[in-house]
Amino acid sequence: MPDIKNIIKGCLAGNRRDQELLYRRHAARLYAVSLQYSGNDDEARDILQEGFIKIFDNLVHYKNEGSFEGWMHRIIVNTALEKFRGKHNLFRVDNIDQIQEPDADPDNDDYSGLEASDLLDIIRELPPKYRMVFNLYAIEGYSHKEISRMINISEGTSKSNLSRARAILQKKVNLYTGIRKSAVNG
Amino acid sequence: MDDRKANIDLLFRNGLKDFEVLPPPEVWNNILPAIRKKQRYVALLRTAAMVTLLVSTTFLAYRLSRQNPSSFNEPAISYGQDQIFDRAIPAEPTLVRTMPSDDRQTGSVSGQQADRLPGPDAESVEEQFVPAAFVARPGTPDISNSLMKPSSLIGRPSRPAAEFNPYAGNNPVIDPLVEEPVKKDNKWRLTAMDSPMYYLRPGSGQGDFPGSFPLEQPRMSYSGGVGVSYKISKKLSIQSGLYYASIGNEVDNIKSFSGFSKFDYTKGDHNFEVHTSSGIILTKNPDVYLSDNMGDRVVTMYGRDVFDPVKANLPSLDNSLYQNFGYIEMPVLLRYKLIDRAVDFNLIGGMSYNLLVNNTVHAMAGNNRYDVGKTAGLNNFLVSSSLGMGMEYTLNDKISLNLEPTFRYYLNPFSNIGSITVNPYSFGIFSGLSYRF
Repeated sequence: MPDIKNIIKGCLAGNRRDQELLYRRHAARLYAVSLQYSGNDDEARDILQEGFIKIFDNLVHYKNEGSFEGWMHRIIVNTALEKFRGKHNLFRVDNIDQIQEPDADPDNDDYSGLEASDLLDIIRELPPKYRMVFNLYAIEGYSHKEISRMINISEGTSKSNLSRARAILQKKVNLYTGIRKSAVNG
Repeated sequence: MDDRKANIDLLFRNGLKDFEVLPPPEVWNNILPAIRKKQRYVALLRTAAMVTLLVSTTFLAYRLSRQNPSSFNEPAISYGQDQIFDRAIPAEPTLVRTMPSDDRQTGSVSGQQADRLPGPDAESVEEQFVPAAFVARPGTPDISNSLMKPSSLIGRPSRPAAEFNPYAGNNPVIDPLVEEPVKKDNKWRLTAMDSPMYYLRPGSGQGDFPGSFPLEQPRMSYSGGVGVSYKISKKLSIQSGLYYASIGNEVDNIKSFSGFSKFDYTKGDHNFEVHTSSGIILTKNPDVYLSDNMGDRVVTMYGRDVFDPVKANLPSLDNSLYQNFGYIEMPVLLRYKLIDRAVDFNLIGGMSYNLLVNNTVHAMAGNNRYDVGKTAGLNNFLVSSSLGMGMEYTLNDKISLNLEPTFRYYLNPFSNIGSITVNPYSFGIFSGLSYRF
C-alpha cells in the first residue's frame, strides 16, 4: 500500500491515480464528519465535495507537520462552518437563559446498545445552531470563546446552545436506549 | 449533573470517532473536473515561469562561456617580456631620433643609437615620436613589428612601426584598434511599457475559509506605466518608475437584480455580503439585490425565504459580479545585460511595491456597468517579486523597442479572510519604447 507521503507527492504532480487513491482512502471518514455537521444528505455531499477540492488545492501548503487526517478533518469542519455562516450569519441567534435539562435516569446510563449510526442520526436531528455548537465544543474541543468568534455569537449564547443541545441529545438517547431495552426485554 | 454532561459529550465523541460512511459515487465525479481545471492554470503559469528562467539561464551560460580575456590588455607573448622591453605599456611618448633611412632597420632604432644621436638641429636626422616600449634594448633582436602588436593583429600583413605609431607627427594613418574614438555613454533611460496580465490566486490556509472558490475566475488584467533606469555599469542597470495595475476577478453564479431599494426597510451600511476568494463583497448600492445560484456565498437578511425578487418583479441584471482592483506599482528592478547586439537580451529581477487605489464591484446591465459595492478585507499594500527576460531592439542611438515577458509572485497575501492567505501569481508580456539620454 503506497505511503501517504508518496500519495501526496503524486497528487501534487497531478497524478490522477494518486488523487483518486487519496479520496478513496479518506472519503468515508470525512463523509461521516460532513454528515455530523449537516442536517441533510445534500448538504453533507456539498461539504465533502467542496472540502476535498480545498484539500487538493491546499496540499502544496501541507507541511508534513501533525496528522494528515487531522489536517483534512479541519478543512472539512471549516467548510461546514463556512456553509453554516452563509446561512445563519446575519440572523439573530436566540438567547436561551434557562434550559430545563431532563433529570438523570440511572437506569439509562448504559448506552452500550447505541451504535455510531444511531448517534449520527440523533445528532443530525438537532437544530443547526445547536448541532454546530455541540459539535465544535463536545467533539472538536473548542472553547465557548473560540466558538463565539467562529459563528459570530456571544459566549453566553454558545453556552446556552450547548446546554440546550445536550438536553435534547440526552432525551433522544434515553428514548433510543429505552426503545432498544424494551425491544430486547419484550 | 456535570458527570452526566460529560457522559453525553463522551458518548458522542467516542461513539463517532473513526465512524465511516461511504459517500455517493457522484461526489468524486464532481471533484475531479474542478481540480483538473485548477491544475491546468497552475501548469500554464509554472511553464511560463520555467521558460523565462530557462531562457535567461541559457543566455547567461552562453554569454559567460563566450567571454575571453581581453586581448587588448595582454601582450602577444607572456614570457621574458621585461627582459626585452623597458616597460610593458607605453606611458609617455619618447622623443627618438632615428637614423637616416639607409642606416635604420624598419621602424625602430636601438637605445645606444638613440643616445649617440646629435641634437635636434642636425639636418640628417628625422624626428619622430615613438612610444618607449617600442624601443628594443641593445643586443636584442628587433621583434617590435610582430611582438608589440596586439595578439589579434598577429597574422595581419606586417607594417612599419611608424605606421603603428599614433603619435607620429604627420602620419595620417591612425589604427582604430590602437585608439578607439570615445563615445558619449547615455546612462539614463526613460521607458514606457504596458502589458496584459494573467493573474491566478491559489489560496492557502486552514482557517475559517480555506481557499478554494471554484466559481471564480481571473479576468484579463493589465499593467502599464513609465520607468526610469540608470546604467550602473556596462551590463548592470537599476530601474524604477510608476505603473498602474488593474486586476479583475469574476464571481460566477451570483444573480443580481435592480430596484430593490423600495423594498428595503432596514438601516445599516449594506444589505448583502458575498464571500469570495479576494475578500467579502459589501453592497453599497441600496438598489441592488443579490442571490447565490450555486451555494451559500451570499449572506443577507433578505434570503429567498424572506424576499423573492422574481415575485417582486425586480429587473434582472447579471449572473456574475466583477471585482476590480487598481494598484499603483513602484518597482525596484535590476537589469543585467546578457547579450549586447542589435537585439539585446537582459535578465530582469527585483521587487515591486503595490498600493491599493481602486476597489469596486460591478455587475453588467447590458453593456453598462452597474455599481454594486466594494470588497472588504483586502491588503492595502502588497509586495511582489519579479523575474523577467527583456529583449531590446535598438532603433537608433536614442530609441529602442522593448519586449519583456515577466513573471510575478506576490509575497504577502492579497487579502486576509480569517486565516486564509491568497498569494497571487501573474504573468505578462510588457512591450514599449525606451529613450536613452
